[in-house]
Amino acid sequence: MKTFEYTITDPVGIHARPAGVLVKEIKKYASTVTVAKGEKAVNALKLMALMGMGIKQGDTVKVTVEGADEETAAAAIEAFFKANL
Amino acid sequence: MALDYRKCAEQIAANIGGGGNVISAAHCATRLRLVIADNGKVNKAALEEIDGVKGMFESNGQLQLIIGTGTVNKVYDEFLSVTGASAASKDDVKAAAASKMPWWKKILKVPGDIFVPILPAIVASGLMMGLVEAIPKFWPAFADTGWFAFLDLVANTAFALLPVLVAISAARVFGGNIFLGAVIGLMLVHPALLNAWNAGKVSEVAQKFNEPVPIVYVQEAFDNILTDDEKLLLPGGGAEAYLTTLDTFDGTEADGKINPSLLNNLVTVERDGEKVGLSGKVWDYINANHTVSEIGGIKKWNLIGSLGISQVGYQGHVIPVILAVFFMCLIEKWLHKHVPEMIDLFVTPLVTVIVTAFVTFLVIGPIFAVLENWVLDGARWLITVGHGIGAAIMGAIYPFTVVMGLHHMYNVIEAGMIAQTGVNTWMPIASAANFAQFGACLAVALKVHNQKTKSVALPSSLSASLGITEPAIFGINYRFMKPFICGMVGGAVGALFATFLSGTNAAGEKVAFGATTYGVTGIPGIPAVNNTVMYILLLLIASGVAFALTWFIWKEEQPAAEKLAPAAPAAPAAPAVEVPTVSVIRCAAGTVLQPVKGNVIAREEIPDDTFASGVLGDGVGIQPSDDKVVAPFDGTISSVAESQHAVGIESNGMEMLIHVGVDTVNMKGDGFTCLVKEGDAVKAGQPLIIFDRAKIKAAGYSDTVAVLLTNSDDLEDVDCGAK
Repeated sequence: MKTFEYTITDPVGIHARPAGVLVKEIKKYASTVTVAKGEKAVNALKLMALMGMGIKQGDTVKVTVEGADEETAAAAIEAFFKANL
Repeated sequence: MALDYRKCAEQIAANIGGGGNVISAAHCATRLRLVIADNGKVNKAALEEIDGVKGMFESNGQLQLIIGTGTVNKVYDEFLSVTGASAASKDDVKAAAASKMPWWKKILKVPGDIFVPILPAIVASGLMMGLVEAIPKFWPAFADTGWFAFLDLVANTAFALLPVLVAISAARVFGGNIFLGAVIGLMLVHPALLNAWNAGKVSEVAQKFNEPVPIVYVQEAFDNILTDDEKLLLPGGGAEAYLTTLDTFDGTEADGKINPSLLNNLVTVERDGEKVGLSGKVWDYINANHTVSEIGGIKKWNLIGSLGISQVGYQGHVIPVILAVFFMCLIEKWLHKHVPEMIDLFVTPLVTVIVTAFVTFLVIGPIFAVLENWVLDGARWLITVGHGIGAAIMGAIYPFTVVMGLHHMYNVIEAGMIAQTGVNTWMPIASAANFAQFGACLAVALKVHNQKTKSVALPSSLSASLGITEPAIFGINYRFMKPFICGMVGGAVGALFATFLSGTNAAGEKVAFGATTYGVTGIPGIPAVNNTVMYILLLLIASGVAFALTWFIWKEEQPAAEKLAPAAPAAPAAPAVEVPTVSVIRCAAGTVLQPVKGNVIAREEIPDDTFASGVLGDGVGIQPSDDKVVAPFDGTISSVAESQHAVGIESNGMEMLIHVGVDTVNMKGDGFTCLVKEGDAVKAGQPLIIFDRAKIKAAGYSDTVAVLLTNSDDLEDVDCGAK
């Protein structure tokens, strides 16, 4: 299991569009990705749940990657967060 | 490496003092939340070391173990099965996370959870059995017809073999293999065992185990029931001579005992050239005047020394069957976890069945046999308590003994009464209790709005009026609990009333109020009682009290959505709910109706790259001509954007996003009112969002509404466009 924390810089936070691209990215990997903010945590493949978190700019999220390809997936997803969110 | 949920749950259970120390268990997105009875048994250091537990703290009287999203629910499921909490209760916790059910309520709920799926079987059978068995009470000749015999067979199948149905349903509730559950159920009613309904009858026990009956019993029977004419007709010219012949007939010396099969075959007299069997009368007399223990009781199969298994089945039992299957599921799950996969297929079922069989027949069964005797002795004693108090209490607790499956033993009490005094004073108490359950169930049937409940309650109440109360009790009254309690009160009042009554016997003498036969209650009991008018009044009182109480006290629980509806801001608009007629997306999982009025455009034409590209799923755009978004299907709200401009809704595997406008997130909610919140159940056509088109235009954004199935990749036959 790999985890990393990231503070959102995108001004609208993880809303429909960013969430959509994030899901698309995560779908490339076999690992299960969980995004947590505070006590709430969701499976990042669930677009609706992800949006329902209401993650805004400045929020710090904890991302957990667990699965066969977690090493590569975690690295790629972290890079994706930095580039897009 | 995936976490071994089972192992994690077992380790948690082991370090909190076992399942018995858990008052309640629930989970949120990341944490297992436990309420512990004795905190002294909790080994905190060890808990934190468990693989899978990421942290631990105590708060609000709860022990909270951080386990993680997507994992906590699996550990929780395993935790329930490890600690023996009801599998059914986990749905409750999910559905009503707020209302934490105390453990005793969960236990009380288990029989209901098990009985609900088998209701169709027992409601039908109960009603049919009540009808079929009632006919001979009013028309005795019917009992000798082939019609009666066959219809009775059809009607009582479900009841005679009830443990099988209970076992299958219980296996499902407790998460075991239902076929193994069926095997346990079948084993408990195996024909090689004495039928439990007959366990109190000397005749059945003697014949089943070929146990000789003391010839004095037969002598007594001859003296008491045979007419002088019949005695003289006995072969050999008289009762005494005949009995001596019988004694030695089996080739042995005169030992004072007679083989039961001989008794069956030989006690016949010739009358008017026709052979008439008297063994039925003789057996009836013996049954009423002697106990099974006098002839050595039910035989055992000795295993080790005196440790043995009673050769008696569990017909009519409920609780021992549930316990047996519960135990079976525990073993089965444990074995599945620990037996290597290669040999799992034959080792696990084999060991499960054998171990369960031993535990059931050696532990569960005997404990219940003792309990049953206590209940029986207690009931005998209770009704002697003066001034009708004992009778009233018995009338109240009677239905509980039905839930426990103990009521069939009462025949023993009834038969004894008839033998001793000729009047069965137990029957009015049982009738009051049963008929009160009928009253309570009828009240539910008439009051309830839910069609499904009504369709169960009505036939169940009919069946209860005929004396078969299981469908009413398990299907309705016990399930909702309040009607059950109202029925208990009705039963108590009716039983109390019965103690003030008297009847007249065949000779016209004044005797105690009661029945002259046993095994009938309710309407079929009318011809059996010695004071018909008062009996009918008794039934009316018992059922009337139960009916009235239930009618006023019990309230139908509304589904959460209906309860919320009147309070929701959408209420004023509610009467005007218009279900859209045009569909915009169709797939195998369902149809998406047009959620907002306007011009439907292709997804690719939505003026936003993300939506148009399909990254967020397939769907359509709508150029709105109205300012209201309504639910496109019956479903549950899965998310509401903080800025109120987008809503997620789920149903039957479809995940839908309705997003009003492009880049409208930047308006931060100004101009949008969302009428629902996450978790709400919504009906197609119900308003979800009201938006201000002018404001969107003024802010410089497109007001195109994106209607997208976000998981369209996982759905089959997705077809977009207005139709």
